[in-house]
Amino acid sequence: MVDTRPFLPVSSHAGSDPTGPSENRRKPMKLQLSILFVLLTVGFFAALLTSNNGSDNGFVKENEHGSLASPSSEKQLRPVSRGPAVGVSEKSNRLFAKDNENQLAYPWNNSMLSWQRTAFHFQPEKNWMNDPNGPLFYKGWYHFFYQYNPHAAVWGDIVWGHAVSKDLIHWLHLPLAMVADQWYDKNGVWTGSATILPDGKVVMLYTGSTTENVQVQNLAYPADHSDPLLINWVKYSGNPVLVPPPGILDKDFRDPTTAWLTSEGKWRITIGSKINKTGIALVYDTKDFINYELLDGILHAVPGTGMWECVDFFPVSKTEENGLDTSVNGPSVKHVVKASLDDDRHDYYSIGTYHEKNGTWIPDEPKIDVGIGLRYDYGIYYAAKTFYDQNKNRRVLWGWIGESDSEAADMQKGWASVQSIPRTILFDKKTGTHLLQWPVEEIESLRLKSYEFNQVKVQAGSVVPLDVGPATQLDIIAEFEIDNEALEKTTGSNVTFSCSSSGGTVERGALGPLGLLVLADDSLSEQTPVYFYIAKGSDGKLKTFFCNDQSRSSVASDVNKQIYGNLVPVLEGEKLSLRVLVDHSIVESFAQGGRTVITSRVYPTKAIYGAAKLFLFNNATEASVSASLRIWQMNSAFIRPYPNDKESQ
Amino acid sequence: MNNTISLTLLHLAFCFTLVSFTPISALELHGTGANMVETTCQKTPFYNLCVSALKSDPRSSGADVAGLAQIGTDKLKAKATATLRQITALLKVAKDPELKMALRDCADYYNAIVKYDIPVAVEAVTKGDPKFGVEGATDAANEADACGRGFKNQPKFPIYASNKVVHDLSAVVASIVQLLL
Repeated sequence: MVDTRPFLPVSSHAGSDPTGPSENRRKPMKLQLSILFVLLTVGFFAALLTSNNGSDNGFVKENEHGSLASPSSEKQLRPVSRGPAVGVSEKSNRLFAKDNENQLAYPWNNSMLSWQRTAFHFQPEKNWMNDPNGPLFYKGWYHFFYQYNPHAAVWGDIVWGHAVSKDLIHWLHLPLAMVADQWYDKNGVWTGSATILPDGKVVMLYTGSTTENVQVQNLAYPADHSDPLLINWVKYSGNPVLVPPPGILDKDFRDPTTAWLTSEGKWRITIGSKINKTGIALVYDTKDFINYELLDGILHAVPGTGMWECVDFFPVSKTEENGLDTSVNGPSVKHVVKASLDDDRHDYYSIGTYHEKNGTWIPDEPKIDVGIGLRYDYGIYYAAKTFYDQNKNRRVLWGWIGESDSEAADMQKGWASVQSIPRTILFDKKTGTHLLQWPVEEIESLRLKSYEFNQVKVQAGSVVPLDVGPATQLDIIAEFEIDNEALEKTTGSNVTFSCSSSGGTVERGALGPLGLLVLADDSLSEQTPVYFYIAKGSDGKLKTFFCNDQSRSSVASDVNKQIYGNLVPVLEGEKLSLRVLVDHSIVESFAQGGRTVITSRVYPTKAIYGAAKLFLFNNATEASVSASLRIWQMNSAFIRPYPNDKESQ
Repeated sequence: MNNTISLTLLHLAFCFTLVSFTPISALELHGTGANMVETTCQKTPFYNLCVSALKSDPRSSGADVAGLAQIGTDKLKAKATATLRQITALLKVAKDPELKMALRDCADYYNAIVKYDIPVAVEAVTKGDPKFGVEGATDAANEADACGRGFKNQPKFPIYASNKVVHDLSAVVASIVQLLL
């Protein structure tokens, strides 16, 4: 029986009148009693006052007056907000529009929900997916493993899903690679990475959550190395190979990386953890992947960043336009340390120098150290992992894209999460501080009909429709030129701008916002702007911001309405350049060749199927812009089970 | 005059004595030592609810934050399950079509809470991937919120109190799990 009373402070029994007229006859006794009671009550009252803290007065009032919808109660029914400081993104992705208190959760129908499924992004046929695991290229196939819940569209019961592809785009589902069948991974077959040995064999290190809920590292390898599909996996009989070392808590030890060779010929890996609120990366050396030696020092640490999940460590060339094997080192090489921060659900990277002898790494710019500087992606993007693709000599990045709609909708549609299109990673020679991400070239094989628009003039305060036919599966490459006069004449100001705290595209500046409206309907009642906003400082210097505005992307109230984005370095002589992949409910946008990237999930109710359109827009007050674009219709990647009855899921 | 004053004083004394023995102040009477429950609950948006929920479970004395998070999710599960039963019972006797519709929506929301949100939170806390626990608990709060909004234009909200407890307790659990990050 539900009795909520124990949780409610007992209402005052004001109104009970214990005394009666008979008391009047015993005056002296009563006086003494009164004094005694007064002293007692003063004492109690004093105790109450001094130790009372943060009590829910509003709650008590509601109970007394029985009001159902007093303003204070509505305020208390807001979703819990978190984030230690201003500017830290909401970890929970449920930010409802402020004026939607009167709206119900949106009545999603099957037509709207089934439209949301992507055509060319990797996702399993149903249920929940999260981190990418152990990506590699082996015997002619790209392999992709992933955290998967075989039972529901929410996180839980995690095992390893598996798929293969010849080109990182057309994926074929295979049976689950590993399930929770040992005591050391009974409570979770979690994230791990693959290492390819010099003889071509593969080893996999992954985190298991044991029957006692301790996080340990386990070794697994293919049952049959001659099987190009790597269908069956064997777990090493002596697992776990690593348990939390002294000083590290049982639940702060996960996500081992791909190994790289040291100058002594040993293999080295790093595993993220934390000590109090300092995020760290532990380093282990091994000769056989079975016995490990924990290095005295750590790879790196940054105070205040919290737990480092899915740490990644890899070299990039300062000079060449190709990727490097994880073991490569040398004078023309920089090393990247990346961590997924548990605290704010974002992926951060930093470029620096690796000191091989003692297994440490120092950032080039401590101000943009791991966790406090640059992000791979300013939208919804987490648990990313790279691998060296020896097939095409490039480093490829995978990233998990969660949902930003309501969990109820996820359950209704029966699935949650997609992966980003794999991206190549290169050191940005021009800035020296950024990495460049770009969709793998194989995605171009999906391009169908193309449309070209040259020097389309978009005056300040106008919208130009782009007739490209259906607009839910597109690859867009655009360049924008802002008229110089406006750039020079505009007066600068001290006002600071940030995408997330701005008013989105309705907030007009002299030199922005301007860009594209994707997944927009004819009346623009739903629209997702992907745009630039140029701010001029009082010193005359221009700063360009790249943003993605979800505030009007859907009339539904139960989807994320934030504005994502960040500064994007635009160098002398560069035009504003943009690439956007639109694939139903996911939009991936790349500014300045991939210097700043934003991925967002979009859930329109009207701008779907044939009603979705594409527009150019310029909501600046002073600048006009000239846009040149090439736009392709994109084919589906037809991701499906591997065509073999015995082996398909 | 004397009698009136004495009567008033006695009356006030009686009231304060009673108020003093409510759960809140009873706790404060035990002293202001660094009690894990109190310090943890101070970091949640509903202190009193948090304290009374946790303390009602004997496991709370000597529990660490992870233990308190588990107790919190257990309590939440009990409250949500009971509220779902309440909704189901009300649906059987409800005649008004709008009331039925609102109750049916709430049944859906509570099914989600009991079947998905809370198990996710429990699993995340026990196995040590707390971010999913924060998400699960926050989802539960949002489902309860959605249920409540369905009654905004209704004259009566029969499950107001239990729904509010589920919402607030979810928010409390989310805050506690956050401390594990």
